[in-house]
Amino acid sequence: MRISGFPPVSAVRENEVKMDFIIQAIVSGTLMGSIYGLAALGLTLIFGVIKVINFAHGSCLMVGMYAAYWVVTLTGVNPYLALIVVVPLLFFFGYFLQDIVIKPVLEAQSDVREPTEVIIVTSGVWYILDNITLMIFGAEYRVVQTSITGKSFEIGEIIVSTPKLYGLIATIIVSVALVWFLKYTKMGKSIRAASLDREAASLMGINQYRVFNIAFGIGTAIMGVVGCVLLPFYYVFPTVGVIFDVKCFIIVVLGGLGSIPGALIGGIIIGLIESVGAQFMASTWTELIVYLVFLAVLFIKPAGLFGEERDW
Amino acid sequence: MKKSMKYGFIFVVALIFACSLVLAGSPAIAKTKVVKIGNILPLSGPSASVGIQGKYARELATEQINNAGGIKSLGGAKLENIYVDSKSDPTVGVSAAERLINSDKVTILSGCWNSAVTYPSTQVAERYKVPFIVPVSVRNTITERGFKYTFRIAAKDAWWARDQFEFLEDMKKKSGADLKTMAFVYENGDWGVGMAEQWEKLAKKYGYDVVLNEPYPSTASDLTPVAMKIKRKKPDVILLTSNAADAILLTNTMAEMRVKAKAIIGTGGGHADPMFRKNCGANAEYMFDVVEWEADLRKPGIPELNAEFKKRHGFNLSGESVDAYASVYVIADALEKAGSTDPKKLRDALANMHLDSGPAMIVSYDAVEFDETGQNINAGIVMVQYRMIDGNLERVSVWPASAARAGYEAVFPMPKK
Repeated sequence: MRISGFPPVSAVRENEVKMDFIIQAIVSGTLMGSIYGLAALGLTLIFGVIKVINFAHGSCLMVGMYAAYWVVTLTGVNPYLALIVVVPLLFFFGYFLQDIVIKPVLEAQSDVREPTEVIIVTSGVWYILDNITLMIFGAEYRVVQTSITGKSFEIGEIIVSTPKLYGLIATIIVSVALVWFLKYTKMGKSIRAASLDREAASLMGINQYRVFNIAFGIGTAIMGVVGCVLLPFYYVFPTVGVIFDVKCFIIVVLGGLGSIPGALIGGIIIGLIESVGAQFMASTWTELIVYLVFLAVLFIKPAGLFGEERDW
Repeated sequence: MKKSMKYGFIFVVALIFACSLVLAGSPAIAKTKVVKIGNILPLSGPSASVGIQGKYARELATEQINNAGGIKSLGGAKLENIYVDSKSDPTVGVSAAERLINSDKVTILSGCWNSAVTYPSTQVAERYKVPFIVPVSVRNTITERGFKYTFRIAAKDAWWARDQFEFLEDMKKKSGADLKTMAFVYENGDWGVGMAEQWEKLAKKYGYDVVLNEPYPSTASDLTPVAMKIKRKKPDVILLTSNAADAILLTNTMAEMRVKAKAIIGTGGGHADPMFRKNCGANAEYMFDVVEWEADLRKPGIPELNAEFKKRHGFNLSGESVDAYASVYVIADALEKAGSTDPKKLRDALANMHLDSGPAMIVSYDAVEFDETGQNINAGIVMVQYRMIDGNLERVSVWPASAARAGYEAVFPMPKK
């Protein structure tokens, strides 16, 4: 009897891997990893500001993907043009999710530093969103044939997937825009102030709940971007969020809670482990490596790669 | 005034209550007997699409049986399905089986599609001595434990693998193609791992060199690494076992990475899912798939049933849904013959069954008969090939020749696009 999912030892032993396959693996891993990083960015922002672990994060991605799916299917536009509709939609979705569902719990627990009840609330939101979607749209997998679906180009022997390359570009644009927003706008400064010290920020006249709403809105809007980026090569179904959820949590803790570069680098590390690792072992083993690296980082640097030593 | 209204209200309530008591007691409208079938299916999670197809097929068959007068030897008893979502989780399946038997008092159980769920759930049924019909789960060992109450309608995976290799041998002879190396790529659940074990034995027997033995998680967010690995190993034949979502992702990723082989053969499941055809399009052209059933089989009743199914749910019947559909007729036949809902009598009726007529015979073979292990000995397998016909990707039965769609034969090896 063999343990399910683990191949016989003979299969784990792999023979030589040529250099161009390693380069290919690095390219594919970096591209996919940057998209994981983008997905984790929203989570890390929400955690950094509100100190709430948003278990509904994957469901927000699912909402983003369905929004992108319907915009693209109904209007026939390019998925990147759909961003114009999907991103504001997701922003307001997140804004009101925080305002209507999460804020009351936060207010009731305003004297608690780590409002654990909110975790339960976000888990509830996760289940409700996933199952409402299952009820309305059914369990079927939906794929859109967009103009760039399946497109790729070759640089020498290396194949680069066009939609994933756009994913990397989107990740860079969103991160730069987010850093700029947090550094140079009044709202960005308020968000940073509230994340550093809620009470002091309130005393300075910052309406912390409004800041939370906007931070949650931005975090969710990023999932709208991820939804549009994933759409050309991934399928949409009600529990799609769960697949990315676990990755996001690992990435955020690995990179450091609340750290923007941490989320991006963490995402790329996971992408590389999955891609390069799979060239030397069965791909089921790469998950093991991901968790080993995760544990190792926590041992050596408990705050994560880019995390600050702070008691959250 | 107010008080009298209140009394009036109480009086009306009491009257309704009394009436309902009288009505319930009167024999004229006594409820017809109901036979409960407990169905454990993956209605959410990665296999939900196929679970829901199974549910629809069961509903259709149940409705037909009930409209035709129910189970006549039980005084026109109606069938009633109770569905429990297994979420593809074995532990959920086990507790569902316990609950269906103990709380819902079902007469018979059916399910669970995922072999990993069926395996422990049938164990529960065996312990309580309640018959368990397994329409699809293909893992060999499900009917190899000496159980008396487990009956499987579909072929076991040993037969699927056997036919995949026989097909290749036949094609080698016919086309003169040189097939030496092989890659196994499969989902890391019970089903995929079970298939890979069979493949390994057969590859040795037929003298193939296995260059890749690669399990992958069905919930993978990216299969590019797997596709790259296949490309690197350059196998002549790629054998696949995939669930629905990963079959789509893997096929599209392989096309993107320009992976080529002389034959790519699926094992039903994800590759037979209607969503696969819709979502892979030209990327799946010329791929092979083994199934136990195909809509173009030359059997009476298939076009009508398929049209009805498509009208209701918007997609065609699949091998899975046909097995699920037939399973309800198998249950009905057993109940009819047993003339009782006693589990022991029902079991004996199943063990002695020879169902060779009626709507259930849209299956690809001629009769449902179970051997002493509870395996349907007639379950047969067809090889289909994805072909573009008038711009639409269709599943065309190509092997064995007797089952092939008129005017079609396998294109082998797969043309390099």
